[in-house]
Amino acid sequence: MTIGLEHFLTVSALVFCIGLAIALSKRNAIGVLMGVELMLNAVNLTLVAFSRFSISERPITGQTFAVFIITVAAAEAAVALALAVSVYRNRETVDVDQINLLRS
Amino acid sequence: MPFLAEEAHAAAGTPSIGEPMLWAILVAPLVAWALIAAYGRKFPTIAGYLALAGVGAACLLSYYTLFNVMDADGGIRQYTHEWFSAGSLTVNLGVRVDGLTAVMLVVVTTVSLLVQLYSTGYMDGDHGEGRYFAHMCLFTFSMLGLVLADNLFQIFIFWELVGLCSYLLIGFWFHKPSAAAAAKKAFIVTRIGDLGLLAALLLIFREVPEAAFDIAEIQHWAGGHLEGNVPTTTVVTLFALGIFAGAAGKSAQFPLHVWLPDAMEGPTPVSALIHAATMVAAGVYLVARFFPVFEASGDARDVVAWIGAITAIVAATIALVQTDFKRVMAYSTVSQLGYMMMALGLLGYVAAIFHLFTHAFFKALLFLGSGSVNHSTNTFDMRKMGGLKEFMPITFWTFLIGSLSLAGIFPLAGFWSKDEILLDAWRENRALWVIGLCVAFMTAFYMFRAIFLTFFGTYKGGEPVDHHDEDSHFHGDPAHPHESPWVMTLPLVLLAVPAIAAGWLAYDHMFKDFIEAALPEVHGHGSTFEIGIAISSSVVALAGIGAAYAIYMKKWVTSESIRATFAPFAIIFENKYYLDRLYEDLFVTRIMQGGWNRLLQANDKYVVDGIVNGSGRLAREASSRLRVIQTGQVQGYGLGIVAGILVIVVAVYAANPL
Repeated sequence: MTIGLEHFLTVSALVFCIGLAIALSKRNAIGVLMGVELMLNAVNLTLVAFSRFSISERPITGQTFAVFIITVAAAEAAVALALAVSVYRNRETVDVDQINLLRS
Repeated sequence: MPFLAEEAHAAAGTPSIGEPMLWAILVAPLVAWALIAAYGRKFPTIAGYLALAGVGAACLLSYYTLFNVMDADGGIRQYTHEWFSAGSLTVNLGVRVDGLTAVMLVVVTTVSLLVQLYSTGYMDGDHGEGRYFAHMCLFTFSMLGLVLADNLFQIFIFWELVGLCSYLLIGFWFHKPSAAAAAKKAFIVTRIGDLGLLAALLLIFREVPEAAFDIAEIQHWAGGHLEGNVPTTTVVTLFALGIFAGAAGKSAQFPLHVWLPDAMEGPTPVSALIHAATMVAAGVYLVARFFPVFEASGDARDVVAWIGAITAIVAATIALVQTDFKRVMAYSTVSQLGYMMMALGLLGYVAAIFHLFTHAFFKALLFLGSGSVNHSTNTFDMRKMGGLKEFMPITFWTFLIGSLSLAGIFPLAGFWSKDEILLDAWRENRALWVIGLCVAFMTAFYMFRAIFLTFFGTYKGGEPVDHHDEDSHFHGDPAHPHESPWVMTLPLVLLAVPAIAAGWLAYDHMFKDFIEAALPEVHGHGSTFEIGIAISSSVVALAGIGAAYAIYMKKWVTSESIRATFAPFAIIFENKYYLDRLYEDLFVTRIMQGGWNRLLQANDKYVVDGIVNGSGRLAREASSRLRVIQTGQVQGYGLGIVAGILVIVVAVYAANPL
């Protein structure tokens, strides 16, 4: 059995769905962030897979894109963790159920 | 006198007058208006001189135009430029000069100039002097524009402009509630007629868009001479009636005449210029301008003739019982305008314009004379006057000349023009001739009633000056009347000259050929002089004067006993045929306030407010339901987004199966 594009896509879809489930169900804000990271990386996997199986002569675009996403994800993680710390300092919790300030 | 040139009139030539000259007539008062509007507040004293300069320039140019047109025997000269066009609508901007225009130009500018001169004395010291002269210049400009216009569209624009100026000047003393109400009434009542004019404008655009509203083209069209577009009688009649509706509003024809007597709330020179000589004659001018249209429609002509006759007799009867000096003049004006309309309806094109021409001078003279009386007695109530002959000789003699002219006494101007109208009536319709004679009798009677009450007998003291009234700028003492200053008496004397002499122009029919050349076809509308008619009308006029003399001078019969004898009529006349009451109660109170306004109010309350409140309530109801799903929990929102995406994905797959 040769490993084809569909295998990569299946894996990335699975990872995405796991990340989504974590992001939607975890109470802990840190856990939610982890889920988001999983989703981002699932997308990276997809991009790289498409890049690998592309018939283009210079299939570099997908990989470049993935590098950018990793960079942005790192920045996002830094900001999000800073936010989590900040929220914890103010409200003494990182439980997203408790953080419902949007409901005025 | 070029009027009396001797060569026979084979065919009218083309006047050589240049275009800049014609536009200059129009621009001169406009420039004066702009300058007064800009500087009048700072230097109110110069406003009068600016107005005199502007109108004086227009007057000189008008006389030049008149002589130029006379050299060409009243031929037509037209300069047209395209203003704009959209689709099949083309609107031109141009000037047209012919005999009719030239006569009107001279009438308007001459009367306007003399009235401006008079106003510098009459309005001296009024707070709004600058505003007054600005409005007067704007009015003169608009009136000249109306006369010079070469197409109906342009006429309509200036038509509304003169209406606006009339509104502004009637309500000149706008702090008086009666003046403000009179201005509003004048504007609204004339607007009713203007609706007809607008309808005529739209009709002519629908019927002959290629004519571009051009006067000559419309005349051709109505005469059936426009190739490929011969109108039906119905269309021509409708167009003619629309034109006449506009004319009836402006010229105060029954039943729209009610605004003109109230318009006397304005300053007296305004009444002399706008509501006696020029603007109210614009209706007659308009009908005369489109005379071929009325020629083509007998029904419309009958309407014009009968409305004119009814107006003449209704206004004359009301004038019999007025105690206000100026309102006698006002009703007299309405009556004489009815005369002109009657003449037009009887194919008396020349007679009507001729009467317009002479009437403008003597009626302006009469109004200025009544203003002069007011200037020294501070009232218009004839019961408080009397004996003014001794104090104001110039005013008295000029007023007498004007009255004799209006009454139609040989050889003054009114005699000739009134006779032409009566002769046309005699030839076309005897019933109207009888009405005309009755009106002539009443005219002579009420004018001399006014003269005997005002200038003869003993002086009754006038109206004491109210020193608490800040707007009153009355100088002098009403208890000791005095002659007015020379700026006011000079126009009276100058106007007395045409009031005496303007009629001789008709002799030898020079006037007739001259203004008939403005029509595309000459049918010989003018009438000749006939001794029988002249004698009958003179006898009637003298009888009117004699009756007034017997009642108000000799008191052989007292006016009270006559009033008692004819009580029902007197009451009807004193109440102006209850027309004001009818309009007030039926149209204003019942139909407008009771019906239409309440309908609009209900519409406002239930439909408009309903939509506004309903949309508000809908938003509130909807949001109170939707609020429950806004939990503030981000994960819940994320779930919603995912669910939405899934739905979209499923929907896309369902719509496009692989």
